[in-house]
Amino acid sequence: MAYVGNLKEKPVITGVGCTKFGSVLTTPEIKGLGFQELVCTAAFEAMDDSGIDPKDIDAFYIGSMLSHSSHLYSHNTQMADWLGLHLKPAIHFATACSTTNTGAGLAAMSIASGKFRNVLVIGCDILSSAATDNPTIRKPTDPTTLWYWTDFGVDQAYGYHHAYDVATAYGGLPTLGYAKKHHIKMSKMDEAMREIHRTVKLHASRNKKAYVQTTFEQDAKKAGFKDDAEFWTSRKNPFLAWPARARSVLNTVDGASAYIISSESQAKQFCDKEPISIEGFHWSASNYPWYGKDPTDWAIDNTTFETAMKMAGITAKDIDYLSVHDCMQIYHLIESEICGYFKKGEAWKAVMEGRTRYDGDKPMNTSGGKHGKGHAFSASAGADFYEAVKQMRGEAKGRQIKDAPEVSVVHNHGYGMHSAVTVLKR
Amino acid sequence: MESMVTRFYKAVSNGKIYGVKCRKCGHFTFPPKAGCMKCGAHDMEWKLISGEGKLQFFSSGNLPPMKFAKYHPYAYGAVELKEGPCFFTCIEGLDVSNVEALEAQNAKMPMKVKAKIKRMADLDIVIFKVEK
Ligand SMILES: [Zn+2]
Repeated sequence: MAYVGNLKEKPVITGVGCTKFGSVLTTPEIKGLGFQELVCTAAFEAMDDSGIDPKDIDAFYIGSMLSHSSHLYSHNTQMADWLGLHLKPAIHFATACSTTNTGAGLAAMSIASGKFRNVLVIGCDILSSAATDNPTIRKPTDPTTLWYWTDFGVDQAYGYHHAYDVATAYGGLPTLGYAKKHHIKMSKMDEAMREIHRTVKLHASRNKKAYVQTTFEQDAKKAGFKDDAEFWTSRKNPFLAWPARARSVLNTVDGASAYIISSESQAKQFCDKEPISIEGFHWSASNYPWYGKDPTDWAIDNTTFETAMKMAGITAKDIDYLSVHDCMQIYHLIESEICGYFKKGEAWKAVMEGRTRYDGDKPMNTSGGKHGKGHAFSASAGADFYEAVKQMRGEAKGRQIKDAPEVSVVHNHGYGMHSAVTVLKR
Repeated sequence: MESMVTRFYKAVSNGKIYGVKCRKCGHFTFPPKAGCMKCGAHDMEWKLISGEGKLQFFSSGNLPPMKFAKYHPYAYGAVELKEGPCFFTCIEGLDVSNVEALEAQNAKMPMKVKAKIKRMADLDIVIFKVEK
C-alpha cells in the first residue's frame, strides 16, 4: 500500500472551462486559433464560471505535452500576460495525457499548504497541425509525424527501438487478455466492443463540445448499412491491431481545458455554484511496458485507485460517476473492474445492457471520451473534470445523469505510462 | 559511469544479451537499467540471459512507427523471460496474415520462444523466435 497522506485544508473546484474539441484547421468554433487563444478560451470560461476576480488567482499551472506542435516551451511565461496574470507565480508541468488530472492534486496541495488561495490549472495541445516560424501559419501534421513525436514518451532507451507497436500494446493485447481471462468468445468480445462504442458515440452526440457529433446508428446508415452490427464488422471498421478495431481507439484533436481550485473559505466569498471538493488523489509512474503476462492487471492503476479512494474515505460502492481514460475503449472494462465499479468479469455484460450510458445505473464517460469528445493529450483530463463537475452540478444538459452524482472518480493515463486518479465530492 | 545503454547494444551486436541482477534483493531486470524495480537499490550485476522465454500474447498493429514501417506487418508480443521480466518485441515464426491465424495461434499460448538478435532499422535488437 502506498503512503496515503492527507490535506490540511479542503480544496474545492470553483470553476471549469473547456474549448470545443476538434481541429484548428477545420472546426468552425476553434478555426484559426493558436495555442495562446485556445488556452485563454478555456481559462476565461473557468474564471467566469467560478465568479473569481482574476486578481485573486494566486498562481497558474499550465500543462502541454507536445512542444513540437505548439512550437513553444516555457508556456508559463508566454501565457502570463495573455491570461491577465502578469507577474503571478506560474509553472509548466506535464504528465503527458494525464497532465490535467495530476494538476488537480498539485493545486490541491498548494491550497492545503496555505501558500496559495486560488490556483488556475490549464492544459492545451494542438495535434492537427504544427506552428511554424510565421505565427500566422500552421502546417498540418500527418499521423506518422504526430506519433513520432508522441512516442518520445515511450521507453526511448529500449522499448521503442524493439519494434514498438502502439496499437498492439495498448489496444490489441488488453482486449485479447480481457477475453481470455473471462473466457469470452472472440465474436462475443467484438460485440461488447461494439456496444461500448455505441455508448461512446451516444454521449458524444449529446455533447456540443465533442469532436464527434453523430451516433453509431447514424454512421452505419450513412455508410449504407441497415444493420449496424454488419457495419461494425465490415471493412469500414478494420482491425487496427486484432482484436481492437479502428472505432475502438482515440481521435486526436486540438483543445484546451481549465479549472480553478480554491480553498473552501475563499470559495464562499465569490462562488455561487456548488463547490466540488478534491477528496483524494494519487499518481503512479511506470516505464513501458506497464503490464506483464496478464495484459489486464495494471499495478499502476491498482495503486492509484486504491490510494486515492482510501485518502477520500470511500469504497467502490460510493462511486456515482466513473470517468476512465479511454484512449482505447477496452479500458472501460479494465479500469471499471480495477476500481471495483464492476466486479471482475462483469463490466462487459454491463455495457451490453447499456448500464454505462448516462441514463443507466452505472454511468461512465458521459462526455464521449477520447474517441467521441476527442483526445487533446494534456487537455483531455481537464475535459473529463469539466464533464464530472457539470454532471455533479446538474448542468450536463442533454446527457444529465438522473440523480446528479455526489461522488465522482476521474482516472487518466499519461503516455508511457502514468496513472492519475482524483476523487471529487459535492 | 559507463553508458549502460551503449554497453547493452554493443553486447547485442557481439551476440550477447545481458540483463542485470540486483545484488541486494536478487530481482532480475531486463533490459538493463540503473535501479532495481523491486527494492530500489542501484547495485546491479550484469548477467547474460538464457534466451528462453514464453510468448504470452501477440498481435500485429497497422500503425507501426515510421522506423518500423518497412517491416509491416510483423508479429509483436509479450515474452515472459525465464529470468522473470516480461519483454515486448518482434516475434518471428508466426502467421500474421489474417485474423483466423492470429486467433488460432493465440489459443495455443503460452508458446516456447528463443531470443534472437536481428538488425532492424539500423540497430541490432533482441527479438524472439517461436521454437518448433
Ligand atoms: Zn533489488
